[in-house]
Amino acid sequence: MALNILVVDDSSVMRAIIIKTLHLSQLPLGEVHQASNGQEALTVLDGKWIDLALVDINMPVMDGEEMITRLRQSPATADLPIIIVSTEGSETRKEVLMQKGAGFVHKPFTPETLRDAILRTLGGLDEQKAGDGTL
Amino acid sequence: MIHTVGVADMKVSAETGDLIITHALGSCLGIAVHDPVACVGGLLHVMLPLSTIDPVKAERNPSMFVDTGFPELLNECSNAGALKRRLEIRVAGGANSWNREEDDLFQIGKRNLIVLRKLLWKNGLLLKSHDVGGSNSRTMTLAIGTGIVTIKSGGQVKHL
Repeated sequence: MALNILVVDDSSVMRAIIIKTLHLSQLPLGEVHQASNGQEALTVLDGKWIDLALVDINMPVMDGEEMITRLRQSPATADLPIIIVSTEGSETRKEVLMQKGAGFVHKPFTPETLRDAILRTLGGLDEQKAGDGTL
Repeated sequence: MIHTVGVADMKVSAETGDLIITHALGSCLGIAVHDPVACVGGLLHVMLPLSTIDPVKAERNPSMFVDTGFPELLNECSNAGALKRRLEIRVAGGANSWNREEDDLFQIGKRNLIVLRKLLWKNGLLLKSHDVGGSNSRTMTLAIGTGIVTIKSGGQVKHL
């Protein structure tokens, strides 16, 4: 099954890096959509079928945290797999977001770390086989 | 048949019974690539990050430097029938020359890894797995028939 993925980040360079990593990961990719903040992402999600969202936290207009809260309140997107890709260092804030069912990849990341996080989230890789991302 | 790869050396094989082994990976990198469909694989033991410090030596022996050795490994595997998009790439080594990273003045291991990381990104390749850093010496083995890479370090053996 082809995966439709939404990449939400206010940096176009970071979106390009994430999208290149998606293509290198040999995932069965369908459509890859982009949004530069939470509000734009909600609009995309309103009109498209998305299987996985990769979301930054600190963005203008609407940040990732609010976006995820809204997604979880809507029955259509309550179970959408989400991976946060952020520089966020606060363990408390990360804990709150992970309780909302989101995975976490810390920036800067290696492409393998992101690939492994996606495979784990989608159930294709068990925890022990995932790289530690130290390279 | 067992092929031993020396320091600044490379071996490529398409014989399913072959094992390729390299010893004493410290700050050097052991880079193993394997195409599971064509059953072609190679192992490279590189010493230093960039060939710009001695282009003459690099010309004579590309396996000495990461930036010349890794492309050469990909070429040799391709010549033996491997496809780039199918390659499974594993890396080991890149250790510190001292017990503490801050005591390692030249950081050769770390710089080797950085150059490899750049080459992988430029060539659109991802690592399958890695075992790098620390301060232990490693022995790396690639079985051509299965693609299994084994790391022996500090008395322990594990699959990479």
